[in-house]
Amino acid sequence: MKDLKMVINVLLVEKKDIILSIICGFIAGITAVALFSASGYLISKAALAPPIYTLMILVASVKMLGIISALSRYGERYYSHRGTFTMLSNLRVSFYEKIEPLAPGIFGKYRSGDLLARIVGDVEALQNFFLRVFYPPIVLLLIFFCTIFFTSFFSFEVALILFVGYLLTTVLVPSYFALRQRKIDRRVRGSRAELSTEVTEFLYGFRDLKIYQQLEGKQKQLSKSSAVYMQEQEQESVHNLFSQATNTFLSLMVTVCVLAIGAYLVVKGELDGIYLAMLVMVSLTVFENTTPMAIFPSHLQDSKLAASRLVSVVRNESAAIKMKKQENFQTDLSPKIEVKNVRFTYPNESRLTLENVSINLESGTKTAIVGPSGSGKSTLLQLMLNLYYVDEGEILLNNTPINDLLKESIWENTNVVLQTNHFFYGTIRDNLKLAKDGLNDYDMQEALAKVDLGHFKLDDSVLEKGENLSGGEKQRLAIARAMLKNAPLWLLDEPTSSVDALTEAEIYQHIFDIASEDTLVLVSHRLTGLEKMDQIIVMDHGKIIETGNFQSLMESKGYFYEMKMIEQNVFLGV
Amino acid sequence: MAGLMAMAKEQKMKMILIAISAMLSGVAIIGQGYLFVLIVDRIFLKGDSFTEIIPYLLWLIVALFARTLFSYLSGRTGIKMATKVKRDLRSALLNKFSRNPMQASLQGQSGQKVSVMMDTVDEIDSYFSNYIPQVIQSTIIPIMLLVVIFMEHAATGFVIIITAPFIPIFMMIIGFNTKDKAEEQLDKMAAFSGKFLDTLQGLTTLKLFGRSAEQKEEIRKSSLDFRDATMVVLKTAFSNSLALEFISMLSIGLVALEVAIRLIIFQDITFFTGFLMLVLAPEFFTKLKDLGSAFHTGRGSMGAAKKLEGELEETADAVVFGEESLSKDGPPLIELQAVMFDYGDDAFVLKNINATIRPNEEIAIVGKTGAGKSTLLHVIAGLVSLSDGEIKINGKKRSTYRGKDWFDQLSYISQDPYLFSGTIAENIAIGRNNDASQKEIEQAADKAGLMELIRSLEQGFDTPIGEAGRGLSGGEKQRVAIARAFLKRPSIILFDEPTTGLDLQTERILQTSIKELAKNSTVITVAHRLHTIQNADQILFLENGELLSTGTHNELLQSVLAYREMVTVQRGGAV
Repeated sequence: MKDLKMVINVLLVEKKDIILSIICGFIAGITAVALFSASGYLISKAALAPPIYTLMILVASVKMLGIISALSRYGERYYSHRGTFTMLSNLRVSFYEKIEPLAPGIFGKYRSGDLLARIVGDVEALQNFFLRVFYPPIVLLLIFFCTIFFTSFFSFEVALILFVGYLLTTVLVPSYFALRQRKIDRRVRGSRAELSTEVTEFLYGFRDLKIYQQLEGKQKQLSKSSAVYMQEQEQESVHNLFSQATNTFLSLMVTVCVLAIGAYLVVKGELDGIYLAMLVMVSLTVFENTTPMAIFPSHLQDSKLAASRLVSVVRNESAAIKMKKQENFQTDLSPKIEVKNVRFTYPNESRLTLENVSINLESGTKTAIVGPSGSGKSTLLQLMLNLYYVDEGEILLNNTPINDLLKESIWENTNVVLQTNHFFYGTIRDNLKLAKDGLNDYDMQEALAKVDLGHFKLDDSVLEKGENLSGGEKQRLAIARAMLKNAPLWLLDEPTSSVDALTEAEIYQHIFDIASEDTLVLVSHRLTGLEKMDQIIVMDHGKIIETGNFQSLMESKGYFYEMKMIEQNVFLGV
Repeated sequence: MAGLMAMAKEQKMKMILIAISAMLSGVAIIGQGYLFVLIVDRIFLKGDSFTEIIPYLLWLIVALFARTLFSYLSGRTGIKMATKVKRDLRSALLNKFSRNPMQASLQGQSGQKVSVMMDTVDEIDSYFSNYIPQVIQSTIIPIMLLVVIFMEHAATGFVIIITAPFIPIFMMIIGFNTKDKAEEQLDKMAAFSGKFLDTLQGLTTLKLFGRSAEQKEEIRKSSLDFRDATMVVLKTAFSNSLALEFISMLSIGLVALEVAIRLIIFQDITFFTGFLMLVLAPEFFTKLKDLGSAFHTGRGSMGAAKKLEGELEETADAVVFGEESLSKDGPPLIELQAVMFDYGDDAFVLKNINATIRPNEEIAIVGKTGAGKSTLLHVIAGLVSLSDGEIKINGKKRSTYRGKDWFDQLSYISQDPYLFSGTIAENIAIGRNNDASQKEIEQAADKAGLMELIRSLEQGFDTPIGEAGRGLSGGEKQRVAIARAFLKRPSIILFDEPTTGLDLQTERILQTSIKELAKNSTVITVAHRLHTIQNADQILFLENGELLSTGTHNELLQSVLAYREMVTVQRGGAV
């Protein structure tokens, strides 16, 4: 419930739409009650052959009530939906405000990559919170309050029955079912996760399953978990249906009670018979409003889950960033970097990713970090960017520990190309303009030419995640973006792994021209073009194995030499 | 929608059950109205005593119970129907996927298939659990109500019959100008709705370029634009319900007026009849409203149904095997005769491949990216079916042999072996149908150089790996695959040689392991290493899916220009 508070706070910003939805919902509900009670009264009155004008007044008011009810129902729908979507917008913005300072470190915690899709999905799921959880009970309460107040003028007993019925159908029964709902929910989710794993293994592991003849067994297992999942689902649906049916029956029974008590009172002479039909109609109509309360528990449950997942994403982290005062990193010259005895483990992993790593990068030098995949070379580069906190040891930038520096100021002074670079929906120009303010078309076109993308036009469109670009094109575009930024520190993580060897050599030439004075770190699993590097650091299993320049490493015939020999033997057939 | 309807019709009994439930609940609804009115009439006008109406009250409770019960039953039957359909769909999909998922994985569509199996099937649910029962109810009950209304007081019936058709007309008038607008909005909505995800995914990039703060307003703007676009569409839907409500209001109002006038001025109907009309008419329109909302849910399932239909229609031929047993003394002779392969779209990935692979040979498959090397390996493995041509084993078609015998002789070491959720031991034991002893597993793990890793783990061989367990590095995965092969001792090894990125230890283990395994088997390698190519007894040189040439390295260097070019460019390019 605590987590929903955050959502409610965001929600309350849209006071106007909330109030309008409640008012319209209330008018729609209460006029419907009034409409049916008036028609009940009308017919009773008619039976007593009254003067025609009373009837005309009644008929006219019935009509008017009908029109008001229909219009306010429209208004309620309109305002509540508009409010919901405005709320979603506020929610996205408020969530973005919270997650923005935590990025990109937070993404390392959830390496599965589905975090983002889940966040987006959870925000969407919260649209039901306002529509089905938040305001309908308020409307319901108001309608019942007025109805009960109204009936109390005719019969206290009937009013009491309505009140008890209200408690039963909107509070007691739904909360009872909500309690059971939780258990069922958990089972459904559990069995779904199991089936999902089975399906994933079946499809992704098919080759190995087939060759090792495990396919039949797997298929049986899959059918079994599928059956379990569907059985749980069925139970859930039946449970929901049952709770709905119970609620409907209860509300109908309330009307029977109203009728019975009303009849009894009429017989005893404590109630005018002319009101009996009216009271029955009131009760029938007012309880029609309670039907949505049957699905209220499941929506509440969903909203709670979504909210707590969202909150948990941002809450765990916020403690970590409250650090001491941080200063701006300012540098006119190319910076120097020292890494001292760094140990690092990814959150939720037991394996040490970096073990006792120390390196020294003098100002203006060019360094390559090489090693097999999984050796920790990319992690080392990301630590230099202060994307994660080291577990032990420290990293110094111009003799200042990077934790004492504002991250933003480090990034401002760095040209970064990561293994995966994001491109946004828009044009090539939009994506390049991110690099720096005040770039003109000429600069951008020139940068494109340097990365062999001269055939691209700045107005060419880029789809979400750059999915209309090939892997090599994306890498080259990212390099162009880094070139345009032109900061004194370069951190490049396998920037050309999908680019052919000849183009790669050309691009490197351009980078080295631009970066001649700058400090540059290049992570690479290819060992080509490293002859010009001042320093090559060889890593394996999170440790530094060798350090030296190309010549010395080749001469010492160690790990690097052997890797180079294998690479020369590699025949990619690009 | 046609496909879904057909599926529903297959479950005739359940449909009939729903229809019967609908009829009975219709009877209950009529009974309920009848009894309510009767009781009020008796008390209000006839002056009955309370005890006299008690039986009616009891009957009323029965009617209400019946009404709830039958609508519950109809919903429950719908849910059962949905479960059955989903079960059938899942097993149909499973059958289909089990025949040929290799194509999907070769085309990189495995993720899509997972989502079809999980989400798309679930989306079908509401069609059966909601839409069908609702439609049946909303068709049967209003007709029953009309019949009763006509019998009791025909004038009311006429009012309803005349006014009801105005609902669709009214909807059309309102809907007409908004429909085009709505369609125009749909594209916009798609563009806006992606913005938030796009920004979140690009947050690292935005931060590194110091651009993240300014995105806040962009998100707000696109969200609000999304809202406005959605509201345009929703307004149409709301206007439709407004139309329905107006018409039903009008109709009920007319009924009330007519009844009142008859009661007062003409005095030719009773209070009972009048009140009954006033109770039954709203029930009629409520059911119509339900039908409207049911259509809404039904539409959601339609897209899913279409997707499933497409998935099930896609042809996938299983690889055929027979009943003959395949000799297990040493590697067999493999002959490829005019082998063709395509993904069912006539764009051939492999064209007319002819090759003879003799026992114990080392074969290297060489070619540029996209030449069809991996596909050829899958074809040889018997994981995908040929479009045309023949593969012969020991002179006979492979399809005559038992599938089990064939796969018993085969190991496939890919660049990315799959780990199943289970322990390390289980993942190795899969190499021999899980009947290997602990000692054999340990020996295999030792040969594959896994012991150091396993000793470093707290739970040793029982450490869970795979989906929910500990992640292994690429090199470690390769070694698990090697261990599986050592356990199996195959006579044919299919090997997708790694390019780069492996640690030296795994490199060495791979080389020595393949060498050892090759002593008693044929090795067919998608080759990425020069020495593999140089040592091969036979090179299959592929280009654009065609077998350009076969021979040894030296033979090809001398006779095939394209091969020579490729080798020299590669050597030159690699500095």
